[in-house]
Amino acid sequence: MKETRLGDFEETLLLLVGILEKEAYAFKIAEEFESQTKRSTSIGAVHSTLNRLSDKGFLTSEMGAATAERGGRRKRIYSITASGQRALQDSRDFKLSLWKQFPAFAGDLNFSA
Amino acid sequence: MNKPKNHIAPPKLAQRLLKWFLKNELAEEVLGDLDEKFYKTLESKSERKAKRNYWYQVKNYIRPFALKRTKVNYSNTIGMYRHFLKISWRGMLRNKVFSTIKIGGFSIGIAACILISLFTLHELDYDKHYENSDRIFRIANEYRGENYFGRWTNMQGPFKEVLEEHLPDINQLARVVKWKWGNVGENHIRKVESKQNIYEEGFFYADPELLSILEIPMVYGNQSDALASPNSIVISEKMAKKYFPGENPMGRQLILNDNAASTYTVGGVMEDFPITSHLQGEFIMTLFERTEGPGVSDWCCSNYDFYVKLLPNTNKEQVEQKLIDIRDTYVIDLLTEAGNNEIDEIQNYQSYYLQPVSDIYLNEAEIGDHIPHGSIYAVWVFSAIAVVILVLACLNFINLSTAKSIKRAKEVGLRKVVGSFRSGLIRQFLAESIFFSMISIFIGLLLAWGALPYFNDLADKQLTIPFQSVNFILLLVLAGFVIGAVSGVYPAFYLSRFKPVEVLKGSFSRSTKASFFRSGMVVFQFATTIVLIIAALVTHQQFDHYMNKSLGYEKEQVINILGINTLPEQRRELLKEELLRLPNIQSATLGDYLPVSGSRMTNYGFSLDGSSDIDPGFEAARWIIDEDYLATMSMELSTGSNFNPDLTNENSIIINESMAEAFHLEDPIGTRLVDMFDGKYNVIGVVKDFYFESLTADIRPLTMVYGRGQSTLSIKLSSTEMENTLEAVENKWSEFQPNQPLRYTFLDQRFEEMYRSFQRARNIFLIFSLLSIIVASLGLFALSAFIIEQRNKEVSVRKVLGASTSGIFNLLAKDFVKLVLIATLLAIPLGWYLMQAFLQDLANRITLSWEVFAVATIGALLIALLTISYESIKAALANPVKTLRSE
Repeated sequence: MKETRLGDFEETLLLLVGILEKEAYAFKIAEEFESQTKRSTSIGAVHSTLNRLSDKGFLTSEMGAATAERGGRRKRIYSITASGQRALQDSRDFKLSLWKQFPAFAGDLNFSA
Repeated sequence: MNKPKNHIAPPKLAQRLLKWFLKNELAEEVLGDLDEKFYKTLESKSERKAKRNYWYQVKNYIRPFALKRTKVNYSNTIGMYRHFLKISWRGMLRNKVFSTIKIGGFSIGIAACILISLFTLHELDYDKHYENSDRIFRIANEYRGENYFGRWTNMQGPFKEVLEEHLPDINQLARVVKWKWGNVGENHIRKVESKQNIYEEGFFYADPELLSILEIPMVYGNQSDALASPNSIVISEKMAKKYFPGENPMGRQLILNDNAASTYTVGGVMEDFPITSHLQGEFIMTLFERTEGPGVSDWCCSNYDFYVKLLPNTNKEQVEQKLIDIRDTYVIDLLTEAGNNEIDEIQNYQSYYLQPVSDIYLNEAEIGDHIPHGSIYAVWVFSAIAVVILVLACLNFINLSTAKSIKRAKEVGLRKVVGSFRSGLIRQFLAESIFFSMISIFIGLLLAWGALPYFNDLADKQLTIPFQSVNFILLLVLAGFVIGAVSGVYPAFYLSRFKPVEVLKGSFSRSTKASFFRSGMVVFQFATTIVLIIAALVTHQQFDHYMNKSLGYEKEQVINILGINTLPEQRRELLKEELLRLPNIQSATLGDYLPVSGSRMTNYGFSLDGSSDIDPGFEAARWIIDEDYLATMSMELSTGSNFNPDLTNENSIIINESMAEAFHLEDPIGTRLVDMFDGKYNVIGVVKDFYFESLTADIRPLTMVYGRGQSTLSIKLSSTEMENTLEAVENKWSEFQPNQPLRYTFLDQRFEEMYRSFQRARNIFLIFSLLSIIVASLGLFALSAFIIEQRNKEVSVRKVLGASTSGIFNLLAKDFVKLVLIATLLAIPLGWYLMQAFLQDLANRITLSWEVFAVATIGALLIALLTISYESIKAALANPVKTLRSE
């Protein structure tokens, strides 16, 4: 059985794949990660995680178009599968339920604060 | 987007690296991503940073998911080799006798090889420790006459100043006196404040520069001035610890041979000479500003070895040429002035030779000097023996592996049937033989370690196995691989060739080619063994011959009392007279010259008075003896008379027969001789030739003049009753010299000492021929066991049909005896040739007798018969029912 829980880095990447849509390939995801989180990473680390998410069945991928910047090489575009979306949802729901049980914030959730 | 950076490409090397480890199916996307990243970085950062980032990205792709899948392959290979090893191990256990022989023989060969390699490496390691070893030389004279070629190191003392003045290529120059002159060699030594004389060895003289030329490390003092004041002495660290424990000996005074008039001052302490230095010694006495003896001799006499350190980048040949020029321009005049009458000869035939310091020990140039040498021949012979034994062991291995072929044939057939390739089988057999050779190396190492003390004894060395050296261990492992692979190649190809159908049907037959190969190996093994036996026998005979040779004097029951030079002259005389009064002492003589090596030696030039016929280079040994010397040594005069103490003997001389012959003297008595210092002598007697140097050379001309020895008193005992006499002598001695223990040697023991190297050679041949016999017979034993096992059915059928036990034994033994006989035929001429070459250079050699060859042959035959008889007799006696029952 494959491990189906999401780690923090995995969850972030999964979300980024969803955000980038047609541009979701390793280099772009890594760039986006760095600009959004202000944390540095390497393409290899991102690629490795994307690979793991694919193995878990949360992502699917196909070879996209080639561009001149890449020396005519194609890129692998990732997209979220149904089970990937469910995993994200589960994760969010689980956290929300935790937030709701937090006495300091209970019944008074204000995310914009 | 700024364009100009377009021509920049990602680092090629990083890309190559990435492609090398990255899965092929990922290559396209990853390279694309990294390119994009690279150009993106380039937009905001420098080229260098972009490239560094590229490397960083590549490095970060070294992750399990991205790597090429080699791991699966890898574990397969491991599994395969594990399987090979398991099969080897089981095979080894199944045939315990076979395996023991295989590994045992191999281990013996490897142990012998390790020991001999240690020896050879040690011999080749001499004088390699100098930092500037390419600039350190010893000067040697070279004489290239019509009938004679020779090199020797002795040169005249004043050469030093001439060279220092006129040969600027020489950075430093030092003279050394290593032959018995002055206090060279052994002495009795004491500190000024002590009375006790202690016997020490290893004294020699040298100029102050020697310390820096030979880069001798100093514990106290420094190289440049440790010997640079008169009467200074440098002692070794060992001696400093012995005489001045826990203190700095600089400036302390030492007295040699009780001669309190001249003391030596310690000017420095040097580290002990490394064992791999040609020059050995514990005390270096300075030649600086000496007033008598060593250091002051003039152009008359060649007394010094010259060590030089050349300036960097100096050409050896050019310096040699300059030496000749200096000889012609300066030295000749000085020699003429000194009255030398050999000028022409020197100019025509003599030149100079610079011997590199690292060549001194093995002395391939055969330069005459006064220090012990290793022998390059010994190195060669030893290495040859090591290789031979190793080859014998490898052959054994090959032989046994192929001999077992029938047993392995079914395995090979089955493996092929289930799909094994031939290459896989070859790999299996190679792995197996490397496995065996590794085990053998390990056991061989243990054997060598255990045998090392005995080997050190045999070779007169202090070798150690360098277990802590990584290189040594790696070398052994490598050797294990190479030896295993080499000896496994033939069996591997031979065994893997079997056709499965034939083998499994049982119609498989041994090829005649293989059995021919095996026979050839048995022949080779026994031929080498016989040659080694012959060598051992011949060296033994030669040694025996020397020991029992009539020498022209009697060495038995002669005792040399040494170290009497600490007594004043009259007391020596008195000691002699007192000793003569003791019972059992037949005669006594004061003489430093003894007919064994290690005693005093002087050579003079001689000519006939008024005759110019004699070769001006003629030299004879010159001994000083008293009137009792000849009687004590039991030497005989062939004509004339001994010295008479009542007459003046000042101008009398006794010569030996060889000298008379060299001067063509019909009636030598009364002939007048002139020595190189114009001393004139009357021949009063001719002593019968006796061997006063090694028996390996002919007897040289010898002269004896009258005088008294200063350090040695020899006594001849009238009976073999030693103990009481020695005790009486010892008591007498302590009356004369209470501060110095009596030191004595037996003349016959010193004589035997001269032939140590011979004895060593004999022992080495004996031991290694024994080893090769063991290896060869182990091989033969296993082979016979195998062949007889194959012929079991034949033997049983013959027995059923009425063959006798002895008939069957003959049948089985015949084949092997035939092989050994062929080996003999090969070995005898080879052995004869080698031994002839060995004996050629020796004087007093034995003639090779047929007995040696007969003994070697019969010995080999007997060993072979014994080896095969166990299995043969077992087969001949076996109950045929047991073998035939299964049919």
